[in-house]
Amino acid sequence: MFLMETIPLIILRTLWISGTAVVLSLLWSLPLAYLLSRKHGLAKIMVPVFDALIGVPTVLIGLVLYMLFSSRGPLGFLGLLYTPYAIIIGEAILVTPLITSTTYHVLNNVISTYGELALTLGATDKQAMMVALREGLPGVLASIAMAFSRASGELGIALMVGGNIKGYTRVMTTAIALEVSRGEFESAIMLGVVLVVIVVSTSIAIRFLQRKVYG
Amino acid sequence: MAVPGVYMNKIIVAVLTVIIAVVLASVLYVGYYSREIHVRVATTTSLYATGLLDYLAEAFEEKRSGVVFDFIPVGSGEALRRAANGDACMVFVHAPSLEKKYIEQGVLDEGHIFAYNYFVIVGPSSDPANVSRASSVIDAFKRIYRVGEEGKALFISRGDNSGTHVRELSIWARAGLNPRGRSWYLETGSGMGETLLVANEKKAYTLSDIGTYLKYKKDGRIPYLTILYTNDSELINIYSVYIVKSCSGSERKMAEEFMKFVIGEVGQKLISEYKVKEYGVRLFNPVNGRLELLRSLWVKLSEG
Repeated sequence: MFLMETIPLIILRTLWISGTAVVLSLLWSLPLAYLLSRKHGLAKIMVPVFDALIGVPTVLIGLVLYMLFSSRGPLGFLGLLYTPYAIIIGEAILVTPLITSTTYHVLNNVISTYGELALTLGATDKQAMMVALREGLPGVLASIAMAFSRASGELGIALMVGGNIKGYTRVMTTAIALEVSRGEFESAIMLGVVLVVIVVSTSIAIRFLQRKVYG
Repeated sequence: MAVPGVYMNKIIVAVLTVIIAVVLASVLYVGYYSREIHVRVATTTSLYATGLLDYLAEAFEEKRSGVVFDFIPVGSGEALRRAANGDACMVFVHAPSLEKKYIEQGVLDEGHIFAYNYFVIVGPSSDPANVSRASSVIDAFKRIYRVGEEGKALFISRGDNSGTHVRELSIWARAGLNPRGRSWYLETGSGMGETLLVANEKKAYTLSDIGTYLKYKKDGRIPYLTILYTNDSELINIYSVYIVKSCSGSERKMAEEFMKFVIGEVGQKLISEYKVKEYGVRLFNPVNGRLELLRSLWVKLSEG
């Protein structure tokens, strides 16, 4: 149980890395989902691709990024390998298909129902969009909760580009893997339970926030 | 339609606040972290998982502040491959034949043997292949092969290019046998601990390092397995430390100091005493003037 003293730090680090990754991914995933919901031709090709990429093996993303960030790799000069930033970038890429795809489906639904309803009631285009966004927000928030769960629960990227360095890039999942390899199954299970509790409470917190905002 | 507008503004402010907070936290985090010299050390998982490297690094850091060792625990194969890519300054490994390959490729600079222990053949106490009566490790593997072909025994292999797996393959090769693809030969592709658990469940034979075996045995996780064969020459497990050629500057200087510490008097004493109280036996043996013998065994092993 040599991890005991560092568990709170590992938890904070996991929250920070996965939270940042999701926020970062939102910067391009939401505009992308909006774009797809407006351009049906593009959506027909891209949405099935994104749907399929939701389950891409994390270790594959990790390996590709490792080769890019390695000293010998094309992006080696950035010095990102074995830093939390490398994990953040990898997880942001990982959750992009998930956020884009789920948000697209939500937007598509609300635009075709509420948006058009608003238009027939005499709203302007901009107003109709606002209504659609407001109605779609619960779905988007659910998608964010899912993305956070996927990011904090992945192992391959954190191992490959983070390196599981104690006090720097060790997150919940890499700590669990290390405890298993050390034969400390009990503390691995304990860490796993903590991870599940974090993910579930984040999801509940997001739900709560949403209720608060809507009143 | 005014309500959604106000509400969107609130959301935008909240999102911007979160982003700014995250960026600030990141800057502070890295600023705090980069004040020290970091030495990137790729190491075999088995060595790191026992806690030996953290223990040695802590003892070293007591005297030498301002340095942090970033241990990257992976298999021997991956550790050396990362070194070849310039992504480690120092490696701790136990796979002589792989080490030789990377020395010849010019990836590794000077290296030293710093510890050794033994591999053990473990299996069910009923021992259907009579491995415990084998005259040599090759004889032991031949017995397992024969009984395996008769359908009375299983062998579990790591199958992951780790130091232990590389050694197992070299024993099969020296015995002139190729078990790959046989129905009694299972490759787990996972760590030593998982492999021992599989062997325990299936009451099968496997090759293990002594450290992992003792830990799992002591914790009561592998009740059906017992040590059936070991010897002190063919099954010796030699741990070496290397500085990577591409490493330079203060990182390299620190790595060299740490290497000197590990092979020096204090480091060797720490290694010989490590966890002896807990297990009643040594997990790692110090080199202690047996360097010539270990070197000649290493050379033999490196030739596969």
